[in-house]
Amino acid sequence: MKRRDFLKATAVGTLGVNLLPLTYPNKLKADDSIPQVVWVENGEPEQLLEAALRELGGMNQFLSKGDVVVVKPNIGWAKKPEFAANTNPDLVGAIVKECYAAGAKEVKVFDNTCNAWNRCYQYSGIEAAAKQYGGKVTQTYNHRYKNVRINGEAIKEWSLYQDYLEADKIINVPIAKHHSLDRVTLGLKNLMGVMGGNRGSLHSNFGQKLADINMKLLPTLTIIDAYRILIANGPTGGNLADVREKKTLVASTCTVSADLTALKLFGHKMEQVQHIRIASERGMNKFDLNNLQVKTIRLAS
Amino acid sequence: MIKARKVSQIVFLFFFIFLFIRARYPYEVSLQSDLFLRFSPLIPLFDFIDQWKISLVFWPALLILLFTPFLGRYFCGWICPLGTTLDATSHVVKSPPGRLAQKWQKLRYLKFALLVGGIILALFSIHLWGYLDPLSIFNRALTIVFYPLATFLIDHSLIGFSRVSFLESPAYGVYDFFKSLIMPEQQAHYQQLFWIALFIAIILGLEKVSRRFWCRYLCPAGAWLGFLSQFRFYERIVGEECPVCNRCQTDCKMNAIPDGNVKETNKVECIECFNCGAACPSKINAITYRWRWKPYHTPIDYTRRQFITTSLASIGTIGLLNLGLNNRSANSTMIRPPGSLPEEAFRDRCIRCLLCVRICESNGGCLQPDYIRTSLTDLWLPAANMREGYCEYNCNLCGEICPTDAIMPLDLEVKKKTPMGLAHFDQNLCIPYARHEDCIVCEEHCPTPDKAIKFDVKDYELADGTTRKVKYPYVVKDLCIGCGICENKCPLLGAPGIFVTPENEKRFDPLNWS
Repeated sequence: MKRRDFLKATAVGTLGVNLLPLTYPNKLKADDSIPQVVWVENGEPEQLLEAALRELGGMNQFLSKGDVVVVKPNIGWAKKPEFAANTNPDLVGAIVKECYAAGAKEVKVFDNTCNAWNRCYQYSGIEAAAKQYGGKVTQTYNHRYKNVRINGEAIKEWSLYQDYLEADKIINVPIAKHHSLDRVTLGLKNLMGVMGGNRGSLHSNFGQKLADINMKLLPTLTIIDAYRILIANGPTGGNLADVREKKTLVASTCTVSADLTALKLFGHKMEQVQHIRIASERGMNKFDLNNLQVKTIRLAS
Repeated sequence: MIKARKVSQIVFLFFFIFLFIRARYPYEVSLQSDLFLRFSPLIPLFDFIDQWKISLVFWPALLILLFTPFLGRYFCGWICPLGTTLDATSHVVKSPPGRLAQKWQKLRYLKFALLVGGIILALFSIHLWGYLDPLSIFNRALTIVFYPLATFLIDHSLIGFSRVSFLESPAYGVYDFFKSLIMPEQQAHYQQLFWIALFIAIILGLEKVSRRFWCRYLCPAGAWLGFLSQFRFYERIVGEECPVCNRCQTDCKMNAIPDGNVKETNKVECIECFNCGAACPSKINAITYRWRWKPYHTPIDYTRRQFITTSLASIGTIGLLNLGLNNRSANSTMIRPPGSLPEEAFRDRCIRCLLCVRICESNGGCLQPDYIRTSLTDLWLPAANMREGYCEYNCNLCGEICPTDAIMPLDLEVKKKTPMGLAHFDQNLCIPYARHEDCIVCEEHCPTPDKAIKFDVKDYELADGTTRKVKYPYVVKDLCIGCGICENKCPLLGAPGIFVTPENEKRFDPLNWS
């Protein structure tokens, strides 16, 4: 190919690619077949997950063969599943299974727990559920937290868990819970479980600090467990009267969008939840939040 | 015989270490780890002085005591893990032969003095003998010194190996094995480490002076067993063919074969290690061991004058122990484990074995061996340090594992409602009060179903004239159980903005306990 031809072809090609969206705006801008957020309700955790993944095009959409995957549930508290303080263990187990089915080489499951790790892992049922499908469940070891440059507005440096940073793909699996600091804890707040250091100090000016660090942490996929949700006395719970069985699951490739959608469970608006609002102001959302395409599915009981 | 004795020593040592390693979450009550502390021959004696009845929970020790008048101090030679450790140490430090160490023989009375002193103090309800109980010493050394040291060394060397490329995967393999099966806890850090390490170092170091120095001259359990075995029926018989080569005497761990009379055995001192039989030249073989129904008697090396001196000294000690300044301020952070007996009784029952501290490490990790606050008897009692750990809401294992029930085994649901103290805010430090910024990390972690920390939301006017809503936390006394997770997780780097004191603590009096 001559240089002249090459330049011509490049020019035409570039022009074409840039003009194409104008001629077929709907086909490239937003693919109707894959929704931005999926909301599935009225089913058991495995069924909810299956339906959500079907809508999103299957786990293969997100994983490649031989990937090392981190599944990051909330295992923060030594509480049994019915108290809705930790992610539903059946959901975590099902996700691990799906990951291996999609060709993952290794699926790691861990959380920087608030209570003693061994009790949290056992009480939550997550260790047993994930191991059942071959998930690698370990405590987070102190020597594997690495200081990482953040260079955010409020945080310059923070220690983050090495396995998380090195993973090929990340699936963030929070549980939807009440939290008195900023009303709720969802996908963005769940990522605190891969942070080390003095995490309590993040609580002042929380929204900005969380957004700063989360810039480095955004996952491949966020699956919010709302099978049971905690509406008061969070994030620890402990009183069954504060638990509501919603049998719901919210999934999206965008954590901010998923969180925003899940606020409906609690009847909150984005303006009321500072850390989600700040995340959107900082442009951490993949999709237009004012015009979010949520696909709602109600499973037949 | 000597082979059987060595096997027994090793089996018991590993059994005790096995029980020690099992003393962590998840703990199965079926095989109780405190079993090994209940082997201590001193416990039934002092338990009897405390309660005036014989408690059958101490059956291993009672069994040992039952056979002691017939068999002698076999516990010291065959079972005691501290004794086994001392034997191993003597191989390392090369103890001098028996003859050279004979000059210390006059110290034998010391162990009887310590025992008698312990008994007199116990009669006045001051139990200090736990400091010198051999199994207590052994467990204390394991808990505070050896186990954390092993965790540290294994952790760090494996992490170090894993940085070398070709060693990475085997190192992590071994690391995961250790972390899942043997040492899953985080690294423990204890106060009083220096003093407890020094204590065990001195006991082990005395092997350089003579073999079994501790057992010969200091151990009150040895004195108690020796006292019981004065008429031991199982005797060492030396035949007429003995040429008095003195080899058995030189090889005796306890210097129990008197100088100039190798045919006799000091039954109070002998621990039946059977070294003498093995030392006897094989072509002579003059030494046999046999039951005799008319045994001779060995008097204990403890004179009336020494007894009187001990008694006077003990009575003086009792007085002095009651005369110290009762500094209430120093006791304001003295938080006992949940389910502890009332303070007086707690001090009587606790043998400072630190099993509770050990099992706490795999849970909240708040318990620490205490320091001397106002009284000597404060030393090494368990006390919670909430800046180091906290009391895990779902855990009642310190009560389950306590060998003497100084901490009562509370039902978990009872324990969850048993306050061990009360949290207080220090408004000069607490972030919302001091800086008018949100924090409420304490509220987040508060484990009670209805949180004991609540907050007021108030508008605060900032310097630039704008207002900000701030959550100001406070404690609800009736809900707080003093578990201290608030103090532990307080993000302030130094002194916390919320702290626990023993105020509002609930103790369990077994007399009024259902």
